[in-house]
Amino acid sequence: MFEIQRTIKYEADRVPGFGREVMGVPGCEKLKDCIQCGTCSGVCPLSIYMDYTPRQVMALTREDFKREVLGSHTIWLCASCYACAVECPREIRITDIMYELKQRAIHEGVYPRRFPIPVLAQEFTKMVHDHGRVSEGLLVTKLFLKTNPLAALGMAKLGMGLMKTGRFSVKQENIKRRAELAKIVETVDQENLKGKA
Amino acid sequence: MAKQEQEVRIGFYVCHCGTNIAAMVDCPEVAQFVGTLPGVVLSKDYKYMCSDPGQELIQQDIREHRLNRVVVASCSPLLHEPTFRSATEKGGLNQFYFHMVNIREHDSWVHTDRAEATSKAKALAQAAVHRVAHHKPLETKRVSINPTTLVVGAGIAGIHAAMTIANSGKKVILVEREPTIGGHMAKFDKTFPTLDCAACILTPKMSDVGSHENIQVLSYSEVTKVDGFVGNYTVTVKRKPRYIDEEACIGCQDCIPACVFKQPKFADEFNEGLGKRRPVYIPFPQATPQIVAIDPNTCLNFKKGEDGGRVVSDKCKKTCVEACGDKNAIDFTQVERIEEYEVGSVIVATGFQTFDARRAPAYGYGRFPNVYTSLEIERLVNASGPTGGHVVMRDGKSEPRSVGIIHCVGSRDKKTNVWCSRVCCMYSMKLAHLLKEHTGAEIYNFYIDVRTPGKGYEEFYNKLLDEGVHFIRGRVGEVTDWAMTPDEEGKLVIRVEDTLAGYVRRIPVDMVVLATGLEPQQDAQDVRRMFNMSCGSEGFFLERHPKLAPVNTFNDGIYIAGACQGPKDIPDTVAQAGAAAAEVLALIDKGFVEQEPNTAFILEDECSGCKSCIPLCPYTAILFDEGKGRAYINEALCKGCGTCVGSCPSGSIVQNLFDDEEIFSEIEGVLAYE
Repeated sequence: MFEIQRTIKYEADRVPGFGREVMGVPGCEKLKDCIQCGTCSGVCPLSIYMDYTPRQVMALTREDFKREVLGSHTIWLCASCYACAVECPREIRITDIMYELKQRAIHEGVYPRRFPIPVLAQEFTKMVHDHGRVSEGLLVTKLFLKTNPLAALGMAKLGMGLMKTGRFSVKQENIKRRAELAKIVETVDQENLKGKA
Repeated sequence: MAKQEQEVRIGFYVCHCGTNIAAMVDCPEVAQFVGTLPGVVLSKDYKYMCSDPGQELIQQDIREHRLNRVVVASCSPLLHEPTFRSATEKGGLNQFYFHMVNIREHDSWVHTDRAEATSKAKALAQAAVHRVAHHKPLETKRVSINPTTLVVGAGIAGIHAAMTIANSGKKVILVEREPTIGGHMAKFDKTFPTLDCAACILTPKMSDVGSHENIQVLSYSEVTKVDGFVGNYTVTVKRKPRYIDEEACIGCQDCIPACVFKQPKFADEFNEGLGKRRPVYIPFPQATPQIVAIDPNTCLNFKKGEDGGRVVSDKCKKTCVEACGDKNAIDFTQVERIEEYEVGSVIVATGFQTFDARRAPAYGYGRFPNVYTSLEIERLVNASGPTGGHVVMRDGKSEPRSVGIIHCVGSRDKKTNVWCSRVCCMYSMKLAHLLKEHTGAEIYNFYIDVRTPGKGYEEFYNKLLDEGVHFIRGRVGEVTDWAMTPDEEGKLVIRVEDTLAGYVRRIPVDMVVLATGLEPQQDAQDVRRMFNMSCGSEGFFLERHPKLAPVNTFNDGIYIAGACQGPKDIPDTVAQAGAAAAEVLALIDKGFVEQEPNTAFILEDECSGCKSCIPLCPYTAILFDEGKGRAYINEALCKGCGTCVGSCPSGSIVQNLFDDEEIFSEIEGVLAYE
């Protein structure tokens, strides 16, 4: 027996204003011009793994289906190769829209917890915020531990070898005057939040 | 200036234009304000001044209130100045006692603040009221129309327009830059949606044109210069050398097989390079005129000259000349000739060019041999084409078992051409049908939207669906030869999102056809300048009014027809060509045009004879009378541009409708409003 699911969408499933909000962000305005031709999906090297094709993400965003869009795999699979933005006949900056949607998903806390991309994004910005500099070795280690510790175990031997030859370090590097940087980043964050409100 | 003897009695009317003006301008307030100005006897607002009752109102008021000046504040003079001038005249006044204020395009349509727009309308109205007091009665001048017409471009539009005019007994000069007339239509196999053969309906028309007593065909020729004005144009035509005496050639074509090249060797333009021709050739069997041409770039009797051009070398055995015999039609000494023709009106029907598929690199045209343009397929399926209608791929042997037709190549794309080319959906379906009929292949159409707005077009779409042609809604991402599965080996793979099924798909095919869009000819801008026309943003020639004057241009006596005005199919092109012919015939039948009397004249007593105006006149309308030592203006040539008026150091040149009093009072009027 197959399970029958209700797939219809009611108005209550939409979050009115979501599409307009996204289209109000600089770089995302041209989403209005989308003619749903599917070129983005046709050129996207990762569209073959996506739950919604990039074109569907555009349509869902414009029609205020916030939950579906922010919960989709598509925005996390986007590798920012920009092929879609290059080929789009309406010059829509699809990759930028994907970034905007990713930011919103993190902000709302609806991202897939163990998926490396959002974790990487968060760890990366946190490290820059706190120390003013990215220490790659440490970042990669943290990423593995937070997403797939078992895989980290498998990489341990390689890591040790690299460490022995001085090519890999888990030491955190810092910049001077970290407090000033923190202030700058905080101001930018606040401005950003104002835009989202 | 003569003093105004009579008391000035101005009637002012402000038009609501429905809500076009009234929504942004408080019309009653404008009328009330103008009513208080000196000289204004009555001031009214009215819903539609251009309507019959509106025009009647002006006439009645002139009689009842003894008005002697009329001002209407409404739309652009381009649209309704003639309407109101004629109403003024019917009311018993000279039509130039009328003045028009544009408060629609210049005011209500471009502003968003009602109070400010109303103020602007008042200021403009006040300027007109000030100015009109100084208007003088003027007479229009009649200029006769030369009954000969020039038609530029001999595709289906030019051919149809020329035939229509010629059949009425008027002379036509038909100029075509290729060696044969026929244009793009001559290359097509069948025409949608009826699938009647293009050659069967076009070539009889072509030979009718060729033999018509009222049509002079100038093939392999180009218009290089146009002088004059409506009714009296002088056009200069460059006759390119085809190295054949057109009078002597009888079209026997004995010279072609006699050529020293035993096999055709050079890419054949008419067959889109899919076939080969000799240096001496006729583009296709039914070419009109039936005269061969010699291509100096490939003929052995020519060599490279010092300036890079081709000169006669006399090195060839000239077997073609032998074959021609005592007809003596081959003439290697022929050079470019320049001829002048006098015509009254011109129909520009210069057509379109197809989008260069190399500009869409993702589709691999020029990289993969089996990617074709639609025009190439037209030749390939054509019974008189390079393969005799046998659809084989570029290897010359294999037939395609599957074909992908990609729509909108170079259309609806901001990176290339933003417009919809209008014909590609239909011709793609036509080619789909023909390819299926010829080869039985699986045919896939990749489209963004199927657009079939025409009589019988939707039915044609249904027919294709019935035939089992696949329609996949999705703009193709790329065409690649990189196989990912065994059945993709050796094929061209189309990667596309099937947007209706919701999947990204890879579809392997043998042949890809690119439905290239239509765009303005390469030299459209030069042609536009030559005939003093305008272009829209996309580069197609601009009609005077998109609905009400679709074949007129802003230059009187110059008409446009066919795809040079915008992409269109054959039925629409022929309809437009007929419309342009009707406009020309109306002009010829009327016999004269009335010219706006806005010409300049020289006050002989004040002219110092400095001659500074003479070189400035763009129309060489100013001459110098050596006897009197004064310049004078040839009114027939003056276009009223005002350049000389502004340049005259002694202020002795006056332009009708724009004399100093009129201009200064207008400026005072607009500045007087606070």
